[in-house]
Amino acid sequence: MLLVSWSAFVLAPQLQLGGAKQVPVLNSTEVYPHTRPGEANQGLQVYRANGCAACHTEQVQQDGVACDVVLASAGKNPDAVSNLLATLTLRGLSQEAAQAVSDKITAAGGKVETHIVAVGPDIARGWGLRHSVAEDFLYDNLVQFGSLRIGPDLAGVGSRLPDANWQLLHLYAPQSVVKGSLMPPFRYLFTTRKIGAAPSPDALNLPKEFAPADGYEVVPKPEAKELVAYLLNLHADVPLYDAPFTPVVVAKP
Amino acid sequence: MTVNDKLDNKFGGASVPASQLDSSFAPPVDASCRVPLLVLFGGAALWLVVSSLLALAASLTFHMPDKFGDCSWGTYGHLQPAADDALLYGFCIPAGLGVALWIFARLGRTPLRGALVPVVAAHLWHLGVLVGLVGIFVGDSTGFAWLEFPRGGSALLFFAYLLIGLWALMNFSGRPAGAMFPSHWFLVAALFLFPWIYSTANILIVGWPVRGVVQAVIAWWFGNNLIFLWTSLVGLGAAFYFLPKFSGRPLQTYFYALFAFWTLFFFGSLRGVPSGAPVPAWLPTLGNLNSMLLIVPVIVIAIIGWKTVVGAAGPEGKDSSYSMIRFGFVAFVLSALLQVAMSCPQFARLTQFTWFGVAQTQLQLYGFFAITMFGAIHYILPRAVGIEFAFPKLIRVQQGCAMLGLIILVASLAAGGVAQGLKLNDPNVAFADSSKAMLMFLRASTTGLLLLLLASLLFALNIFAMIMAWHWSLVRAVFAAVVAPLPKTEVKA
Amino acid sequence: MSEPAPSTPAGAELVSDRSQSPMWIFVLTLTLLYLGAVYFDRHSGWFDKDVYSPYANAAMLESYQPKSGAAMAAAQGRRVYEQVCGLCHGADGLGKPGQAPALAGSEWVIAAGHNRLAHIPLLGINGQISVAGKGWNLGMAAMGASLSDSDLAAVLTYIRTSWGNQAGEVTADDIKNIRAGLGGHLQPMSSDQLLAMPE
Repeated sequence: MLLVSWSAFVLAPQLQLGGAKQVPVLNSTEVYPHTRPGEANQGLQVYRANGCAACHTEQVQQDGVACDVVLASAGKNPDAVSNLLATLTLRGLSQEAAQAVSDKITAAGGKVETHIVAVGPDIARGWGLRHSVAEDFLYDNLVQFGSLRIGPDLAGVGSRLPDANWQLLHLYAPQSVVKGSLMPPFRYLFTTRKIGAAPSPDALNLPKEFAPADGYEVVPKPEAKELVAYLLNLHADVPLYDAPFTPVVVAKP
Repeated sequence: MTVNDKLDNKFGGASVPASQLDSSFAPPVDASCRVPLLVLFGGAALWLVVSSLLALAASLTFHMPDKFGDCSWGTYGHLQPAADDALLYGFCIPAGLGVALWIFARLGRTPLRGALVPVVAAHLWHLGVLVGLVGIFVGDSTGFAWLEFPRGGSALLFFAYLLIGLWALMNFSGRPAGAMFPSHWFLVAALFLFPWIYSTANILIVGWPVRGVVQAVIAWWFGNNLIFLWTSLVGLGAAFYFLPKFSGRPLQTYFYALFAFWTLFFFGSLRGVPSGAPVPAWLPTLGNLNSMLLIVPVIVIAIIGWKTVVGAAGPEGKDSSYSMIRFGFVAFVLSALLQVAMSCPQFARLTQFTWFGVAQTQLQLYGFFAITMFGAIHYILPRAVGIEFAFPKLIRVQQGCAMLGLIILVASLAAGGVAQGLKLNDPNVAFADSSKAMLMFLRASTTGLLLLLLASLLFALNIFAMIMAWHWSLVRAVFAAVVAPLPKTEVKA
Repeated sequence: MSEPAPSTPAGAELVSDRSQSPMWIFVLTLTLLYLGAVYFDRHSGWFDKDVYSPYANAAMLESYQPKSGAAMAAAQGRRVYEQVCGLCHGADGLGKPGQAPALAGSEWVIAAGHNRLAHIPLLGINGQISVAGKGWNLGMAAMGASLSDSDLAAVLTYIRTSWGNQAGEVTADDIKNIRAGLGGHLQPMSSDQLLAMPE
């Protein structure tokens, strides 16, 4: 009995996922994921040691998948196409409905593309572009899924809030950047010290009510910097075979 | 497997001869367990108080988040895992082991031999809990729920458990032929379960970590097997011993108990991965499937309880232990039903990542297991030590505080969890609103935790008073022996 | 000896009632097992490592792989470019002195039509050619002859829309037509030959 349970939830997952390798990003030469840089990796240990996973998850949920029909070009008869578009629903369609809509627009002379989009409240909140998959955690020597969302999901926080200074301010005094935040301040990851010959370039630029006394400055300890490096390294947002979506076109420089 | 086979073979249609239906064997058997039980339960009472204090502090961080930011150990991320582990490893497991030791001895009518070993092991266990809790606070937590204790602590726990379990099994195998009861199956299975899952999880997650998400899958498997299955097996093993004892009606029925045991063990062990987890769909689907099928053992167990207790004569007067064990039994049925509900796709999606899961865990660990253990310990300890509790009236107060506190805690967290889930699943509601909506419910739950702290203190008071009284009786006996060395006084207190 | 008074039949170290088993339990269990099997069949993806919720099975996952769209074409074009063209023309499209001219800003690439451009990879090029006001005298093999219509179209679209280039896309059908129009011509083109063709 114990052996059955052990085989199903220890042995089988290890055989299936334990030897996982990098996978190609959809229609691209790139592979995913990459190892986290050293500082971010140490930041994961800071994340663990402080029990961040007690309040934060790192798993984006996806409830469904939908098709968006996007007009690529209006063709030779733009008026007819735009009149037709006004009568159609173009977003959040099933595959069949998307096909029907594309056919109508094509018949009117327009050209369309069908985009695959992930659906769900997490996606709508901008926490990610797709559900989290095993590959997102391939190189983490400690997987911190979390189970309770007292704070928001962090699976894609590096894409959502990419400003290191914002992150440091938020760690030192969450209420200074998010009004009414329930997050406790992590002041013990910072040192408040007398300003020496010149202010430290690392010193936090705090609003008045959170700033230390005049002549003092708040500088992050290495742990705080590592933690922020880890947070900024969290981007689980490339399309993969097991988590497909159509990426938004980014203009190339 | 071998153990279970053995269980089946040994049963062999044995029923207890009428000649054994007298209780003269009980006092020496009880006395043989005295010292191990005092150590196991005494330490458990201490950790229960520690756990309640930590849980209360963790809850307070939500009401004044700004006050806890200057030292690392004051954050929720340290306090809550420490409170959870102090409850599980500090209280639940040693209490369960103590109760199992005593039930084996009683059911087998065999005094515990070599009590020194379990006594030493119990000390090791409590030392392991101390090492583990300190580890969490200095930042050595492993980062996996229910497995936070760093290596040193978990190694101590593992060996202490092996020793106690071994002694319990030796006592079990020394019982008269054929003396095999439903409680035995549940308790023996639990004795084997823990070393198996604890070593697997510690080796593959902490010792020589596997890669990526497999770690999380194993951690989920371990957490479920410990929190749900282990506590269910030990708690039900105790309940199936005590309920008939108090109600005066045999367990209804042997067949139901057998069926419940196998289905609970099978479905209960094959689950743990929550739906929507970032692992291939078959893992959460398999887990959900078995969670839903838990409805079978739950129905059967509820029938056993109902048929055994309802309408039975029961003990004369109100017996606090009986009330607690009945309460624990109802809490088990509710907790397991919530497990079943939480695995149904729609409800799972609603309650995912909310406080609802916390409420269910509290109901299982405290409402069912801890309260069943309170009842059992209050029954066992005076018989084993041979001294009445110093404050028998406080037992009823403790019972009231524990039950009321638990109900407030679970009800507020469950209601809050549903409210939070509704907001989390509506993308038009800002995330901050979903956490703020919880504040009112968290305040209520803090009240519940206050009551639970009171219950823990009262429980510990009676246990510590008994330990003091026993030490005092030893001193008196020695003193009497020294002063008046004529006829030897009986050192029985 | 202060053993507390034992509660009701303390001596009776409880036996369990041994009446016979009712059938309904088995009926219930088997029914639920059947329903469970249906549930597993519908949601598990049958142990496929790529199937995650909300995808029910491998076929559904396959059907939702993005097939069209400018971004997918760009990604495909970039893949082909980096494998086939990038070595000489550079991943940044700026070319390499003495090896290959820049594609960024090249009048051949950003011309209004793509007919001349498409002939270069299909047939190769030889001799004098002027690119962005600079004279080159180098040969290029028919690097694109072995590419599929879709890959060649994607890579031409990619170079026409990257590094600041803003020209129209090339479709697989366009390439198909151009290939058909080649007839038996297999020799590398010269600059003059190209200029003699429509844009």
